Amino acid sequence: MEKFLDLIVRAGGLDRRYIFLVIALVVMLPLFFPLGLPIRPTIASQTVYDVVEELNAGDKALVSFEYGPSTKPEIHPMAVGLLRHLFEKDVKVYVTCLWPDGQFMAMEALEQVAEDQYGKEYGEDYVLLGFRPGNEAVIKGLVSNLRKVFTVDANGNFLDDIPMMDGINQVADFDYLFSASAGYPGTVEWVQYAADPVGITMSTGTTSIQVNEVMPYVQSGQIKGILGGMPGAAEYESLIGQAGIGTSGMDAQSVAHIVIVAFIIFGNISFFVERRRSKKY
Amino acid sequence: MNGSEIFGAWVAVFLTLGIFSYLYKDNPFYKIAEHVFVGVSAGYWMSMFFWTQIQPNLFGRLWPTPDGAISGFFMKTWYGIYNIFGFVLPSVFPEGGIDKGHGHDPHFIYILPFVLGIMMLLSVSSKLSWMARLGIAYTVGMAAGLRAYAFLNSNVLGQIKGTAVSFVDMPFFSLTGVSVFNNLIILVGTITGLLYFYFSKEHSGAFGKVTRVGIYFLMISFGASFGFAVMGRISLLIGRFTDLISYGTSTYNYASLWVLLLMIGLLAVWTIKGDKKVTG
Repeated sequence: MEKFLDLIVRAGGLDRRYIFLVIALVVMLPLFFPLGLPIRPTIASQTVYDVVEELNAGDKALVSFEYGPSTKPEIHPMAVGLLRHLFEKDVKVYVTCLWPDGQFMAMEALEQVAEDQYGKEYGEDYVLLGFRPGNEAVIKGLVSNLRKVFTVDANGNFLDDIPMMDGINQVADFDYLFSASAGYPGTVEWVQYAADPVGITMSTGTTSIQVNEVMPYVQSGQIKGILGGMPGAAEYESLIGQAGIGTSGMDAQSVAHIVIVAFIIFGNISFFVERRRSKKY
Repeated sequence: MNGSEIFGAWVAVFLTLGIFSYLYKDNPFYKIAEHVFVGVSAGYWMSMFFWTQIQPNLFGRLWPTPDGAISGFFMKTWYGIYNIFGFVLPSVFPEGGIDKGHGHDPHFIYILPFVLGIMMLLSVSSKLSWMARLGIAYTVGMAAGLRAYAFLNSNVLGQIKGTAVSFVDMPFFSLTGVSVFNNLIILVGTITGLLYFYFSKEHSGAFGKVTRVGIYFLMISFGASFGFAVMGRISLLIGRFTDLISYGTSTYNYASLWVLLLMIGLLAVWTIKGDKKVTG
């Protein structure tokens, strides 16, 4: 027994670089050899799906991209999944960006989903309004008068020349709002300056780190559902029946979590054994 | 696949592996990637803000393309100033005014933010830095005013409403849905958590026990945050690995493989040389 405890204490002092190597391996191997672990949607993801499902053809959805390349693996899959669901239902999609990099993410997602997958027409079925700096001031501007914030779209077309912009003057003219957010400005600001004052139905997709911050708004009903990080994206992909990047990453995610939890438990055992010994001697 | 995309993939692979190489130890690859990241980020943000905000929304409103010929002494002088700017920086101030769909009449109210912005830049001068305070004061005051109502409405009133939970007409227990048990947790957690931050009374006796429960709720919350943080980081790692795998194919001339081998080789050489220097 003492020898075994010795081993545990010695293993507790393992060079951290071996742990990095193990994590790298457990993340990479499932990407090469998928396990096909089941994905069960949470209530929060199911709520987002249900809210979009209630929209009718021709309804107007405002989708805001607030993320960049650094958080793309978490948010992009859910943005793509949501766009697929919206275009599947023939909802008109209006895209804004509160982050400058968000515009590139939006262009990529729209090209993949609207153009390549669904063959939607720009200006008739979707429009990319683009990025405007100003953080919450932009949201406030969209709530009072969208036309003052955006006179042209991301391609330089005047809004008056875009058919689907007819009758769109403020946030209240939309039927649904979705914020794909990786931080500030993002979900919280949309709740504070648009969803709460206007009363528009809003859902969100956030990075995992933000979930704790945003969840109180979901619990209180200020936001209708949340997609949390890559698992949220995978759940949404399973709900719409179109597997994507989120689903393919979930095996690696699950295995990595098991290994990390095992490391934490092992580290704690090693710590307590060492502490007991130091007290003893 | 065109040449620039392949080159971009090689650069992406180099920068990704360069940053990862820090996990082994600090090294020149990491330094290169770090400095490139900081430099490119600063340049990108500055360029993005200038061309999406200052040029179209400030200069574009002050000197929009006029509808017809410019007439009157004042307007001729105003656009004369613009022409001077245009002579110095023709790409920012194109001939004839800036057409960004803001109409054809100058919005002179935008002189105020223009002046305040210049004042903020004066913080670099020790004699005139006091002027920067006016710009900062305006920004702080505007932000405070803008946020006060939103916070009160969404974070105070909305959240109080969210914690005013019901205990009737619902199941006693549900793991994830609304139930008496879950609402009790919300009630107890909210009250004990708030009491923990009440410092006007010593945390001892019965009050201390209540605040201790508050600490447990806070610890659970921090634990959940930590768990979500780990989940987020693993997701980002998966994203990078997915890209590295796709860049390791023949389409990109096995960029990941070659760069990885090169880095491992050079790191090994530097480590051996470094060890020899130490032992020598």
